[in-house]
Amino acid sequence: MKRLLQSVLLVLLISGGAISCTENLDFNQFDDLEATPTYEAGILYLEAPEDIINLISGTNVFSQNFNFDAFSSDIFADRVLDGTITFVVENTTSKELEITVELLDEGDNVTDTEVFSIQPAPTAIIQREIAYGDSGRSIDIIKTLSTIRVTATNLGDNSSVSNLPDPLITLKSSGKFRVRLK
Amino acid sequence: MRIPKILFLTILWVCIGAHAQNKQLLYDFTEIPQSMLINPGAQTDFKWYGGIPGISGLSFQAGSSGVSAYDLFAADGVDFTAKVRDRLLGGMTTRDEISGTQQIEFLNIGFRSSDPNVFYSFGIYNESDAIGYWFQDYAILAIDGNVNRLNQRFDLGDLKTRGEMMNVFHFGVNKKLDNKLTVGGRAKIYSSILDFNSTRNKGFFVTRPGQNNLLSSTFNADMKWRTSGINAIKAASNEDNIAGTIIKRGFFGGNLGLGFDLGLTYQLNKQTVFTASLLDLGFIYHSNDVENYTLKGDVTTEGVEVILPGDALNPNQDFWQDLVDNIEEIVPFENNFNNYVTFRPTKLYASLRYNWGEQAIGGADCDCGPNVISGNRTPKFVNGAGGQLYVINRPRGPQTALTAFYQRRFGNVMAVKATYTADKFTYTNIGFGLNLQAGPVNLYVMADNLLAYRNIADSRYASFQLGLNIISWGKK
Repeated sequence: MKRLLQSVLLVLLISGGAISCTENLDFNQFDDLEATPTYEAGILYLEAPEDIINLISGTNVFSQNFNFDAFSSDIFADRVLDGTITFVVENTTSKELEITVELLDEGDNVTDTEVFSIQPAPTAIIQREIAYGDSGRSIDIIKTLSTIRVTATNLGDNSSVSNLPDPLITLKSSGKFRVRLK
Repeated sequence: MRIPKILFLTILWVCIGAHAQNKQLLYDFTEIPQSMLINPGAQTDFKWYGGIPGISGLSFQAGSSGVSAYDLFAADGVDFTAKVRDRLLGGMTTRDEISGTQQIEFLNIGFRSSDPNVFYSFGIYNESDAIGYWFQDYAILAIDGNVNRLNQRFDLGDLKTRGEMMNVFHFGVNKKLDNKLTVGGRAKIYSSILDFNSTRNKGFFVTRPGQNNLLSSTFNADMKWRTSGINAIKAASNEDNIAGTIIKRGFFGGNLGLGFDLGLTYQLNKQTVFTASLLDLGFIYHSNDVENYTLKGDVTTEGVEVILPGDALNPNQDFWQDLVDNIEEIVPFENNFNNYVTFRPTKLYASLRYNWGEQAIGGADCDCGPNVISGNRTPKFVNGAGGQLYVINRPRGPQTALTAFYQRRFGNVMAVKATYTADKFTYTNIGFGLNLQAGPVNLYVMADNLLAYRNIADSRYASFQLGLNIISWGKK
C-alpha cells in the first residue's frame, strides 16, 4: 500500500511538473500603456439680439471677461496634450459686426486672440478651428487659460433691423482635447 | 504609477471566473469531510473527524471569462496599448467578469451523535470573494474618450462590483432519516471583516449636438458605492495593525450576519443517488464602520451660456463658477453612514450519480491500530458516474455550470474523481481530485482546468484545493 501511494504521488508530481508550464509574461508592459483619450464639450455660448445692439450708442456693443478655470485646473492642465477650439459665429442682424475673442492667463495677460469680422445676414456664418499643441499654437495658452474676453464691435449702424425673425449675433464654441490619463 | 498598476493587475487577476466558487470536484466526494460544507445532507460514515487547523481546507480559485493574463502580458512584441484596445475594448463585454474566491479553514470538526444516524459538524473558516464585471463604457471613456461618439450613451451601470471578506462560524446537523434519505442543515454566523459593493448603478453620459451651443453634455446618474470595514482597515494600515484589525473584525468585532445551508441525499435505488444542496441563504447587516457614497442627479450643460439681455453683463458675475456650482448642486456627490444589508451569493448544487462495480468495504484503516477494522464504514461501489449542476446568484443574474464526473475508489486508501465542466467561460475544463487515506490521516488535492496547465498564464480559470484531516470510523 505504501508503495502504491508513493507511486501515485510520484506520478502526479512528475506529470504535474511536466505538463504545467508558463509562457513568458512581461507585466512591465503595463508601463507602456498609453491612455490618451480625447474629450469634447461645449465651452461658451453668447448671444445678443439686434434690438439690444441698436440700443447701445457707439460701436462697442459689449466687452466682457468670463472666468474660465476648466483648463487651468491641475487635473486638466497637467495632462492635456493637444486639441482644438472650434468657434462658430453667426450674424442674422442687419449690420456688420466684429467679434474678438481673447484668451487671458491668470495675470490677465492676453495669450491668444481671434478676430471674427462678420457680414450682415444672410451669408454671415464663420466657423474656425484653432489648433493647439504640436501642430498649432502653444498648448500653454490652454494650460494657463483663466479668462475668456469677448468683445463685440458694431461696424454698422444703430437703427437698421433685419427682416429675419429674431435677428441676433451668436458666438458658439466647443473644445476637443487629448489628455494623457496614463 | 505603482498603485494604478497594482490595481490594474489585481483587477485582471481577480477578473477571473464567475464559476470561481464552483467546487465540482469536492461536491459529493463523500470520502472527504469538507464535502459536508457544500452538501450538509451528504451521506457520511465518519465516527468523527478533525481538520488540521489552517490546512484542513484551502481553496483558491480565479478565472477570467474575457481574457487571460497571457492574452495581455505575453512577451510577444505586440504594443500593449494595442492589445488592451483589441482584447479588452474589442473583445470583452459587460457580461465578462473578474472574480476570485479563497477559503481557509481555521477549524473543522465533526462527530457522530449517540444516535448513529446523526452527525454534527462545526467550525470556522475565512472566505473572501470579489467580483467585478467588465466596465466597458468606462474603459472606452478612459481609452478613447467621447470624441466622435455623438449621441452614444455611456452606461454608468457598467460599474457593477462587489467584494467581501469574512469569517464564517458554522454548525451543521446531518441526519440519516432512513435507508433512502439523508438530510442536513447548517447554520452560519457571518462575521464580516470588510465589504464593498456597487451593483445597482444606473444612468448615462452622452454628448449631443447642442440646442444653443455646438455640443451639449448630459450626465444622468443614480449611483451608490457602499462600504463597511474599509476605513478601519485603512486606519489600521496607517498604524501597522492590519492583522490585528482583521482578526478583531473577523471575530465578531465587525458586522454580523446569519445564513443557512440545506442539503439532501436521496437513494433512488440501490445504485442511483440524487443529491442537492442550497448554500448561503443568508445576509449580513452592516452597521459598523459603514461609509457610503452616492452620486445622483440629471444635468445637461452646453458650457457657459450668456444670453442677453436676460444675463445682463455684470463684471462681477462668475459664469464659470456658477456653472460648476449648479452642476454640483444638481448632481451632488455625497457620503452617508447609513446601515445596509447585503445578501450572500447563494449557491445551488445538484447531482445524479449512478454507482456500479463491486462494493468496497472497510479495510484496516482507522485511528486505532492495525488490527482493527472500520466500524461505521459503509460499503461503497467502486465506480460512480453522473452529472452535476451548479448555479450561483450573481449581480447580473444566475450563472450555471454543468459537470460530468467519474469517480473511482481503490479500496479504502484512495479515491479519485475526474470532472468535465462546461459553462460560459470554458468548454474544456477537465478537473482531477485525489483523496488519500493513510490510516487516520486524510489528504486531498484537487485542481481543475488541467488542460490549461500547458500554459497556465493562458488559462482563464484555475482552481486548487488542498486539505488535511484526521478521520475515524470508530471501532467495531
